[in-house]
Amino acid sequence: MPESLLQVADVDKRFGGVAALRGASLDVRAGEVHALMGENGAGKSTLARIVAGAVRADAGRFLVDGRPAAIASPLDAQRLGIAIIHQELDLFPNLSVAENMVIGNLCFHEGPWARFRRMAEFCRPFLEQVGLTCNPHEPAAALSIGHRQLLAIARALSMNARLLLMDEPTSSLFDDAVERLFGLIRGLRSRGVSVVYVSHKMDEIFRIADRVTVLRDGQTVGTRPAASTSPGELIGMMVGRELDLAGGPRERGRGEVVLEVEDLTTSRLRNVSFTLHRGEVLGVAGLVGAGRSELGAALFGLDRIRGGGIHLDGVALAPRSPREAMRRGIGLVPEDRRTEGLMMSMSVRENASLATLGRIARLGFLRGARESAEFQTVSQQLALHCPSPAACVSHLSGGNQQKVLLARWLLLHPEVLFLDDPTRGIDVAAKQDIYRLIEALAAAGKAVILVSSELPELLRCCHRILVLREGRVTAIYDAAEATQEAIMASATVAGAPT
Amino acid sequence: MPPILRRAQSFAALLAIFLLAIIISPVAADGSRIFLELGNLTDILRQISLIGMISLAMTFVILTGGIDLSVGSILALSTALTAMFLTRWWPTASYGSHIALAIAAAVAVSTLAGALNGVAIATLRVQPFIVTLASMIGLRGLAKWLTNNENIDIGFGRDVAARFAALFREKAIVIGAFAGAAAVFWTLLERTVFGRQVRAIGDNEKAAEYTGLPIRRTKVWVYSLTGLLSGVAGVLYAAENHQGNPNAGVAYELDAIAAVVIGGTRLAGGKGSISGTIVGTLIMGVLTNMLRLNDVDSNVEMMIKAVIIVLAVAVQREKNA
Repeated sequence: MPESLLQVADVDKRFGGVAALRGASLDVRAGEVHALMGENGAGKSTLARIVAGAVRADAGRFLVDGRPAAIASPLDAQRLGIAIIHQELDLFPNLSVAENMVIGNLCFHEGPWARFRRMAEFCRPFLEQVGLTCNPHEPAAALSIGHRQLLAIARALSMNARLLLMDEPTSSLFDDAVERLFGLIRGLRSRGVSVVYVSHKMDEIFRIADRVTVLRDGQTVGTRPAASTSPGELIGMMVGRELDLAGGPRERGRGEVVLEVEDLTTSRLRNVSFTLHRGEVLGVAGLVGAGRSELGAALFGLDRIRGGGIHLDGVALAPRSPREAMRRGIGLVPEDRRTEGLMMSMSVRENASLATLGRIARLGFLRGARESAEFQTVSQQLALHCPSPAACVSHLSGGNQQKVLLARWLLLHPEVLFLDDPTRGIDVAAKQDIYRLIEALAAAGKAVILVSSELPELLRCCHRILVLREGRVTAIYDAAEATQEAIMASATVAGAPT
Repeated sequence: MPPILRRAQSFAALLAIFLLAIIISPVAADGSRIFLELGNLTDILRQISLIGMISLAMTFVILTGGIDLSVGSILALSTALTAMFLTRWWPTASYGSHIALAIAAAVAVSTLAGALNGVAIATLRVQPFIVTLASMIGLRGLAKWLTNNENIDIGFGRDVAARFAALFREKAIVIGAFAGAAAVFWTLLERTVFGRQVRAIGDNEKAAEYTGLPIRRTKVWVYSLTGLLSGVAGVLYAAENHQGNPNAGVAYELDAIAAVVIGGTRLAGGKGSISGTIVGTLIMGVLTNMLRLNDVDSNVEMMIKAVIIVLAVAVQREKNA
């Protein structure tokens, strides 16, 4: 039995009110490729970043080579031989390849003066090792994404890394670059370097990993040797969350078709087709980056439509701006309420009325009474809890903030409402309120498109569930006959039955 | 902290400086404090009126997350144009309509200059700092070129220009213009859809886009309003100084920005008020007056102002956090 290089146990981490990790553990042996899997938000990246010293854990025990170790900063991790390749590749785009490699590198003793020739000499063997042939003096920004990743790996190797963490390394790579990356990972393993490979792409894991650890809701479900497990077992471990959500989609006669999407192609979508009926809730499942939000962007005039078409009530729709989409009766509650949704220094009421200012004003002057009255009705409908409508929205809990954003769109009375992960990071009670709201909208004859990372939520709320993978529709399930396993397989496994 | 208290805080600062000014004010022969004389107090108001007006518009610009460095140059252009219209062109019109025409023309050109700033910022998507830095340079050049870099004297005779100057340098007119502009801009910000959109865009431009707010149109309006008020300030400047001076208004943009941030408006946008800006302008005005009454060197005055600006903003930042 090879010995453990890194043992991590009982790791807790909270971000604000949200628990990202709850007693997670991980055991990496010397010279193995260890995959870290889990659904969106399971805590994979957080765990990797804690091990790399980029994020500090609230609690946890860490052993390196069997000895207790404190990893409080990236520098600590570097001394222990741990390096991370972040998803976003934390390079300095305007510094040269060589400068990127030596900066903050304890293995390169830099004097007060920049000595470019010495830098280049220091870098050369590592660049050769990863197969990156480039001028070490050219800026990192001049490299392709794939080459930048090789540079990040070379940088890690030059720090004498014995453990390399890779966070979703193939998310921005094309096929040939993925092949080269896998070859490189195998080469590293043969030299005794351990690789922790964070991913949720099933086919990659079985091609490259020796062992697989699965996280779910911030806890480690288990570790399996890749040779003796199956995609089915891993999916079961990933989604094994009990379906504790009471209720389910109401059985309803479908209304007439309101939205028809045919062969829709944008920068991130390929030939997406579906229909949406009045009174229907259509779920959209898929991994992050599968094109879920991009579908909303296309419908809402935020992304250019390159092919195919959309018909709303039988009339062609090709919005060039959110304003145009809104006029046609489409609403979109964006994924990230803080950066794309709310005005954090404005009041609750001001945030709610922002999409309907024209209606509450006369000759450009706001009518306070009208604004308050409209806010009252929608706030009751949403069971919104706030100290006062004039309170700053930043003081509210995540769930109530989300309700304020929903209020903004409800006031607009859209025919089609696109909800992009509306329950992310909010408490259970607020989730239930949002489910009830979705039901009420459908009952009132509106059409809802619900994007969610939580499969039980989709099964609970939707009539049909559309699954996206790499910009394409891989399956459309009737919610009644769909299972979490089937949806997960359509979202992760290439060539799964559709 | 509720907004009422936050606003009260800058009022408290103003009150403190006001009290200090009373305490250290030199005393007249009859034992009264010169600072408190009605003439002195109205002098303060007249002195702050031009910068004050520009600061009102600058508040809107900063609320959208922008900045306008060209206000001083627009003021100079407006001043020069006013003097030129009054002294060099002789329309066969009555004095009244000649004056009205001159003012209208100067203000229209200023508004247009502001609108061009806005169009460049909104459609070319160049940063406001860069665009208005360029127009600050360019418009100053235009003002100097039009006047051959000479002051255009308005004089004290009985002609139309002198009448214009006599009327528009009246304290009541100057202070009235500032007060009127303040009332209009307060109403715009607090009571209209436009004001709400200005704050929303500065608070979170991306969210404003997702909410379908007219971002470009709003920005063009905001910079046009800045041009308009800078133009009005330029007209008053010409009257007050009896000349059209193409070198007028240098560094006014910095005084205006200082007044706005002392008044509690966040430089990143989204948060701020007209009342705060008025208080900020008054703080600067009272401070200047207090130091001058006590014969403090004007260079020392600048140093003291520097400290006040940093302190005022630091205190508010701490409390708002």
